[in-house]
Amino acid sequence: MVTRRQFLKHAGATAALLGLSEAMIPQLAKALEQLSTSGKPPIIWIQGQNCTGCSISFLNSNYPGVAEVVLDKLSVRYHPNVMGGTGQTAIQAINDTVAAAKAGKGIYVLVVEGPIPLSENGDYCSFGLSDTKKKNLDGTSVQVPGDKTVHEWMQELVPGAAAVIANGNCASFGGIPAANASVTGSTKVSDIVAQIDPKKPMVNVGGCPSHPDWFLGTALQALIALKVLPGGKPLDLNSNLMSKTFFGQLIHENCERRAAFDAGLFLEDWNDQNPDMKLCMFKQGCKGPVTYADCPTRRWNSAVNWCVGANGPCHGCASPEFYKDLSPLYQPLPNVNFAGISPSTDVLGWVAAGATAVGVGAHYLYKQLGSKPEEAEGGEK
Amino acid sequence: MAQVISIDPVTRIEGHLRIDVEVSNGVVTDAWSSGTMFRGYEMLIQGKHPWDAQQVMERICGVCPLVHGTAASYSLDSAMGVKLPNNARLIRNLALGANFIQSHILHFYHLVALDYVDVTAVLKYTGADPALKLLQANIAVLAKNNDLYPFLPRYASPDYIGEPGGPGDANLATELVGHYVQAFEMRKKAQEMLTIYYGRMPSFVGTIPGGVTTPPTLSNIAAFRSRLHDLQAWIADVYVADVKAIATMPAYSAFIKAGDSGGNFIAYGGMDENQSGSEKYFPSGVIENYKLTPSAFNNQQIAESVKYSYYNDSTEGLKPAVGKTEPQVTKSGAYSFLKAPRYNGKPMEVGPLARQLVKKDPVFMALAAALGVLTPPVKFGIIPRIGARAVETLLVALEMDKWLDQLTLGIGSDIWDPKGKQIPNSSNGMGLVEGPRGALGHWITISGGKTGNYQAVVPTTWNASPRDKSGIRGPIETSLIGIPVPDVNNPINVVRCVRSFDPCLACAVHIIHPENNSVKEFRVV
Repeated sequence: MVTRRQFLKHAGATAALLGLSEAMIPQLAKALEQLSTSGKPPIIWIQGQNCTGCSISFLNSNYPGVAEVVLDKLSVRYHPNVMGGTGQTAIQAINDTVAAAKAGKGIYVLVVEGPIPLSENGDYCSFGLSDTKKKNLDGTSVQVPGDKTVHEWMQELVPGAAAVIANGNCASFGGIPAANASVTGSTKVSDIVAQIDPKKPMVNVGGCPSHPDWFLGTALQALIALKVLPGGKPLDLNSNLMSKTFFGQLIHENCERRAAFDAGLFLEDWNDQNPDMKLCMFKQGCKGPVTYADCPTRRWNSAVNWCVGANGPCHGCASPEFYKDLSPLYQPLPNVNFAGISPSTDVLGWVAAGATAVGVGAHYLYKQLGSKPEEAEGGEK
Repeated sequence: MAQVISIDPVTRIEGHLRIDVEVSNGVVTDAWSSGTMFRGYEMLIQGKHPWDAQQVMERICGVCPLVHGTAASYSLDSAMGVKLPNNARLIRNLALGANFIQSHILHFYHLVALDYVDVTAVLKYTGADPALKLLQANIAVLAKNNDLYPFLPRYASPDYIGEPGGPGDANLATELVGHYVQAFEMRKKAQEMLTIYYGRMPSFVGTIPGGVTTPPTLSNIAAFRSRLHDLQAWIADVYVADVKAIATMPAYSAFIKAGDSGGNFIAYGGMDENQSGSEKYFPSGVIENYKLTPSAFNNQQIAESVKYSYYNDSTEGLKPAVGKTEPQVTKSGAYSFLKAPRYNGKPMEVGPLARQLVKKDPVFMALAAALGVLTPPVKFGIIPRIGARAVETLLVALEMDKWLDQLTLGIGSDIWDPKGKQIPNSSNGMGLVEGPRGALGHWITISGGKTGNYQAVVPTTWNASPRDKSGIRGPIETSLIGIPVPDVNNPINVVRCVRSFDPCLACAVHIIHPENNSVKEFRVV
């Protein structure tokens, strides 16, 4: 029998490793304690117009490792990449979970990876067989069941879900597939959910891909906040429905190369770099000044590295504007006028980015001119 | 009586795949492979800055971003006339190698193994290994709570390892499940190794047009090598050993020759061994009709048929460099959004088996001979395909030490050719690489300093392609014919065969079945 003390210790470790606030530990402990009696919270993880990058990133989870997550923390009822079942045995896992929730015997959280296409009746993305539609196979006269679109799945699964988590940038905001929305009608998950049930608890996890801690931490926060488990407190979300724990601070403010930016030391040529002198990636298009995420402190892949650590610019993949409104990715942010940098201001609209970028410029000028700037407007969203 | 069974979703692959098979007298007699998702990545970078192509195209697939980003880099390099510095060549090889390791481990343990191992057999473990006893206790809790997801439910079959009456025993099954758990950590370690030079995975920033972004240092070489040596030992002692154990089980002997794709194989070649790229670790070559002496590969022989694909018929037979992606969802007679690439008019299997047959590495050839694959009638089924992948993982991992040794430190050790930043007004580029799933090509046209046309012909497009204009099936479709299906409610052997190809659909198969397409063109086969 695990004691309450052990639970507190375990919960504390999990919270600390995910970088959650220490203040969350009592809630998390209570939640985990509850799990030991009532079982693990069921997850149904479906995929829309995805690339599976967020699932692969989830497999990179480090402390807790993914085996621990699947065995001890979440009951993964449906996940197309890891589950044992195929075809109807896979669909059965969904049906059983939904039926149990309907009968009041448990809940489920719906995780969606990838946006949902609506053009052509949603036929640009489907999985499983339709109960009503039929189709013919070429070369035979045999009629077989038609395809069930992911939009039909959303209509079936959202109403009974305790909450919906859009995992990754394209599920949350449309991302790269929505850059082509005119063809397939890619639609972000929150819009679909709002059409089905505007009151359904909904949270976005940004990133292309999402960081495993972002997903897991947000999922735990959501389970506690939704009072799926006792001791809940409201989720602290920003205006994009993302957890402020992970998406609350500008990358630029916490960047390990901020000193190089302030000193005007920019990487111009990848051969010039001195391994001991980390140069700022701003001139190579870094979107850190307009992207809210904790990459600089959390880092990626068991904290081995992150994009800027590898002399690459931040492409702003956790930002709702990624990709379409942050392109061109390797051109410096516009509307920033200081020595050596004069990008054309007509590169793009930068509607969301512009105000913050002015703040960056003012800060830089302050360093150059030795006078204090007026409070940088829009420096913080 | 013939019966058609529809399997959707095919899980434990990447992407949205549906398989329909016709079964007569317990054997597959016809097959249709259909993906069920379309995005149109190639269309959305047109008119954008050419450097964007790499960051967008690597996101075409979250399982294989590394190879797509690398192919995009090579295609941009060639469009800009880059002379790739030696260090950049080596670091790209090391990244490709690390990706082979993580991808192949993921494939065998997390995508394939559950087709052969009964996870519940762990409950009957009688051994004394402390880690396995802990695993047993863990699974026992899940069983007590009646919550054996995500392992159950699954297809029933009498030949899972550890099942009563099945091959092996509960202790072997438990060891394999233990390796399944270890494999999570091992593939994660391979990803970590990759990020030392590339920043993060999946989706990375470490390769750019002209070269790479992180210079080799004594410390990052040491960090890379220490992980590599852990992985080499585990691959040899665990992965290759497990595959050999399963490959030689009498219960699976039929799968040595069942699952043959038709005897045509192609490798583009990959991992440059010199600066010009004239020598490669994986040689290029073409094998036609089981003739095991490869002929020279000529990329001009590749053309894509769209007769059964949801693309405008005016794009039939185009070469990739001038290929077009014009979806036409109401096209009569089509059944796939995947095009049908053909080489010299023939469907081609790509991937580890193709590479090893072209390279004829003695380690693989010895395994093939031991399994009896090369004894007439020569057929390359499910087991040789899985075996080639395991052998290749070890061989590549061992080769990587050599590339680490060749890295140059200090002044004059360039990693980037600045020509990569000089965007020509108009140019063409081609990038061919070998990825874990096989031959991959990216073609870019730059016009007006922006990306004009962009086409990717990817491994799973080769393997999972539909019928072509001559009515010839794609390799996976062909491989399914003759697969035994003793129980039509549990077609486990069909998915065992499909999964042996490691299909990765996001970048490859795009099919839709619009409701208004009820009148179809039928073809008698």
